[in-house]
Order: sequence, then structure tokens, then C-alpha cells
Amino acid sequence: MIEVAGLKKSFGEVTALRNVSFTASDAKVTGLLGHNGAGKSTSLRILYGLVQPDLGYAKIDGTNVSEDRVLAQSKLGVLPDGQGLYQRLTPREHMRYFGRLHGLTEDIIEARTTELIHLLDMAAIADRRTQGFSQGERMKVCLARALVHNPKHIVLDEPTNGLDVMTTRKVRELIAELRMQGLCVLFSSHLMYEVSKLCDEIVIMAEGRVAVQGTPAEILESAKERTLEDAFVTLSERVVLS
Amino acid sequence: MNILRAVMTKELLDGVRDKRALMSAFLFPFLAPLFIYGLMTLVIEQNTKSERITLPVIGAEYAPTLIERFVENGFIIETFEGDAEAAVTAKTVDLVLEIPSDYQSTMAHFEKTELTVIHDGSRNDTRATVRQVRSLIQGYSSELTALRLISRGVSPKLVRGVQTRNGDIASDEQKAANFLSFVPIYVLMAAFVCGLGLAIDQTAGERERRSLEPLLINPVQRLDLIFGKCLAASIVGTAGMLITLGMCLGAMLLLPIDELGIRFSLQWDQVFWLVIAILPIPFLASSLQLLLGLFAKSFKDAQSYVGFLVFIPVIPSLLMNFLPFATQFWMYWIPVFGQSILMKEILGAEPVTVLAYPAAALPTLLLGLGVCWATSRLLNQERVIQS
Repeated sequence: MIEVAGLKKSFGEVTALRNVSFTASDAKVTGLLGHNGAGKSTSLRILYGLVQPDLGYAKIDGTNVSEDRVLAQSKLGVLPDGQGLYQRLTPREHMRYFGRLHGLTEDIIEARTTELIHLLDMAAIADRRTQGFSQGERMKVCLARALVHNPKHIVLDEPTNGLDVMTTRKVRELIAELRMQGLCVLFSSHLMYEVSKLCDEIVIMAEGRVAVQGTPAEILESAKERTLEDAFVTLSERVVLS
Repeated sequence: MNILRAVMTKELLDGVRDKRALMSAFLFPFLAPLFIYGLMTLVIEQNTKSERITLPVIGAEYAPTLIERFVENGFIIETFEGDAEAAVTAKTVDLVLEIPSDYQSTMAHFEKTELTVIHDGSRNDTRATVRQVRSLIQGYSSELTALRLISRGVSPKLVRGVQTRNGDIASDEQKAANFLSFVPIYVLMAAFVCGLGLAIDQTAGERERRSLEPLLINPVQRLDLIFGKCLAASIVGTAGMLITLGMCLGAMLLLPIDELGIRFSLQWDQVFWLVIAILPIPFLASSLQLLLGLFAKSFKDAQSYVGFLVFIPVIPSLLMNFLPFATQFWMYWIPVFGQSILMKEILGAEPVTVLAYPAAALPTLLLGLGVCWATSRLLNQERVIQS
């Protein structure tokens, strides 16, 4: 369970978050929806311990990230914005490195690596250096290293951004699969249809605030609109006007 | 401890696979001593020109005894005709000795006899020859004076006046160490040069390829990350530094510096203490490079900042050469400076107290640790993470 309450954050003159609160429950997929610059990435960065909030807190399974960053991070699997890989290492070596950083034993890393190579269908590239990998192949490596320690909470920042149709599909399947396993999945996106298709819960963000959180049906209800896209626009504008 | 090892092994693997960067990093340890060897051989050759010198002379026939003295000392006498100054300017001859036609008559009348050495004082390569010609004439002249005095029943001692005796207290080894003061500079520079690429790649490079953020999401203490990275870079730096030391010492042993009247010999225990003395330097070098690498805005930025660090080891040696001072114990405490002094003393076979080694090592290591700590604090700043 991920819990975020009353987050406020400014970078110098710019106020990125005014008041952000939401929760993501276990065995559910929660989507963070908002325009570019709505504060999605900043919220997530606070959640995985890279940015300190000015006010408010983020808790992962009851652990406050600001108070015990290391314990909170050990419970998280994160796919951050951007797909930075080490060009001279193979996907297997990426998983080994991140597994070791999570304090896993070599046996567990070995077993988990084999499992993920199978799950993400990357046997052909597992022992090739990542230099020259396609966008889809890079995404698989990023996902594999985020999942190597078998986390109970998954945070994905715009996971399908810039991916081709086949890989996007694969990522969506994976998200569904992770939910089936009872994991708490939180992902951000600016794509309406993606969120509506995958999510049990939707959090709509605008201007550094949460406009609304609820199931797709509840959101339609509160916006008094027929489609989610219209609801998104109406609710975003409501925040801007207020 | 496990985290530290994990980071270190990964960074070393990554670094070793970057063949091009590695090649350029290790160019220095191999090229610098070779360059120095060539340069020093030239210097020695010029200072000890032992082959027979050809001396062009105008009016050789006027001073047969003097000419004979030149021939006895291995000079080849050549009669010169024409414009001596023009010939020296055109570099067709190195120098010309001009003997005036009134040589015999001035000699016979005990008048002043003047010989002219025509040469180009701005040329480095002829300076030794000119000096040799001058001192030979001077020696000949004082013998002549002595004979004249004796013939008048006066002891030559009377005109000796004040004489100096050579009381040089420097041992031959010390002179050699002074002559070869480039060795500490190059060896310590190598510690800064060889780990540089890896240090930048691990900081500015890590951020530029956007892998810093995923790395920091892992549940590890940031100090562990920095220590791991610092150790990886310092292992590469140490390797480069030791290769440079080996190459420099080899070059010194091969150089014919005994021809300069100085001696250099090397015992195994000197090598051992040299290594002990300089071992803490790569750690400090890498920690500073990581800090600057993380501070810089981009990879290129980092390269120029970190490049300046390479000059740090030059400063102590310059100070030692231009501001001579006696070593005080507190000087060992200053990082890099202490190691430079130690190297000079060990190479000069001077007695070094054992306490000097920890005195030089501890502040260096502590400073390195402090810089690592500051770097790990820098990782907490949002500015550093966002590229």
C-alpha cells in the first residue's frame, strides 16, 4: 500500500506541488493521470526518495520515505523517467548489479534473473551488451532490473512513453500480470485510453494538485461526463479555475 | 561492505570494458617515462661531449705551444680563414679562436696578450665546448704566470690569494635525486591522470546517460555508493601510478647519469618504501575527481574541471626547486606535499624516520574520506540528480 498525503514542493520560484494526496492499494493498478508539468514525476520522485518534500509525507507499507529512505526503497520497484543503461554491461549484468545493491544473495539473483528473462521474453539479448539496443529492448532491461528483488510495490513513470505497439502491449500485459500476483502497481501516464484500460483506480492531477481519485465509474460520475476523456478535461479545468 | 564491493566490481568491469578510454588513460604511464628518457639522454650527451672537438683557429702559427696544448687535450685544430663572425652566425662553425699576430711579441715583452673566442652565447649546444676552450686557456695562462714568477725567484703561492675548496656536502645520490626531480612529479601526476576517465564516467557520465536516477533508487547508503566508485577509480589510478613509478625508475637506471658525476643506485627496500609512501595518493585523487565530476554540469564540463587537478602534484616539486627549505616534520602532514618530500628523500637515499610515513598517509586518507562524504551529501541535492 502506497500512501501520499499533503505533499508540497517548490523548486526555487516554481511551485511544483501544491497539495497532493492519494493512495494506491495492493492488488490494484492505480493510474496517475495528468498533463505534462502537472506534478506527476515530482510526486513519484518524492515517493522513491530522490526528492524531499517541503510538507507532507509519502509512506510505503507504513514506512515514511523521508524518515527511513533505505527501508522504504527496499520495498519498491521503480521504473523512473528516462532509460539510462550501462552500455558496456549486458542485461544479465544489470540485473546482477541491482540485485546486489538490494542485498540479495547470488543464488536468489541467479534464479530471479532466469525468471525475468523468461517473463520479459529477452533470452536472445540477455548476454549482449546494451549498446545499440532498440527502445523496446532497453525498456525490458529497465523493467527487469526494477523487478529483480521481487518488490511488493511497483512504480512506473510513463512506462509506455516512446514505445512501439508491440512493446507497449507487452508492458500492459506485464502490469496486468503484476496485479494478478497481488502487487501494488502505481503508474503515471498522460494517455487517457491507456489509463482507462488498465486501471482500477485513477488519480487525476493538474497544477500540482489532485483533482480527484476514484474508480473510472466514480470519476465519470463526479465530472458528470460520458467519457473519461471529457471527464479528464472538465476536472483539470476545474482545478485551474479554482 | 557487500554493497561497496558490488559497486566497485561493477564500475571496474564497466571501466575495463571501455577499451578506448583505458588506452588513453594508460598512455601517460608508458609515454611520459619514455619522453623523459629521451630528453635526459640528450641533456647528458650535451653536458659530457667527449668526442674530439674540432677547433677552428685564426693565426695558429703565432702560438705553437698553446696549440700543442690543445692537441694534447684531444682537440683537432683547423686553420680558419675568412669572416669568423659570419661563419658563427651561419652556424657553419661552433666557435673560432683568434690568436693575434702580435702574440709572440707581447709575450716576449710580458705585455697583456688577448685571445678572442668568437661564439654565439645564445646556443645551448656549444656552451660546453666554449667553457672547455676557455678553461684550457686559463690553465695554460696560470702555468705561464707561475713559470715567470719562478724565473724571478718569486713563489707562485704569493699570487694565489684567496682560494676556495670544494666542500659539497650533498651525496652523489642526493645530487641524482635533485637532477631527477621529475620522477615524483610524474609518478604523482599518473595517480591523477589514470583514474580520471573512470571517475568522470561514474559521475558526470552516469548522469548524462540518465542512469544516476535508477541507481539512487536502490536501498543503499549514498556514502557506500561513493566509496565503491572511489575505490574503483583509485584501483585504476594506483595501477597507472605504479607502472609510471616502475618505468621512471627503470629509465633512471638505464640513463648514463654517472657521466655527470652523480650516482644513482636503487635498492629493493627503497622501492618498497616508495610504494608505501605514495599509495594513499590515488584515493585522494579519485575522491576529488568524483566530487568535481558530480559538481560539473556535463561530461565535457567535468573533463575541463578535473583536468586542472592534474597540476596539483606539480606544485610541491616546484616549491622544493625554487624555494629551498629544510624539511620540518609538519611538512609531511600536508597531502601530496608530504609524499613529494618522502619520494625525494627516499630516492636520495636520505634517512627517513618511520613516523613520516603515517604522518603523510593519514591526513591524505582523511581528506579523501572527507571529500567522499561531501560528495555523498551532494547526491542528496535535487539539482545534481536532474540532468
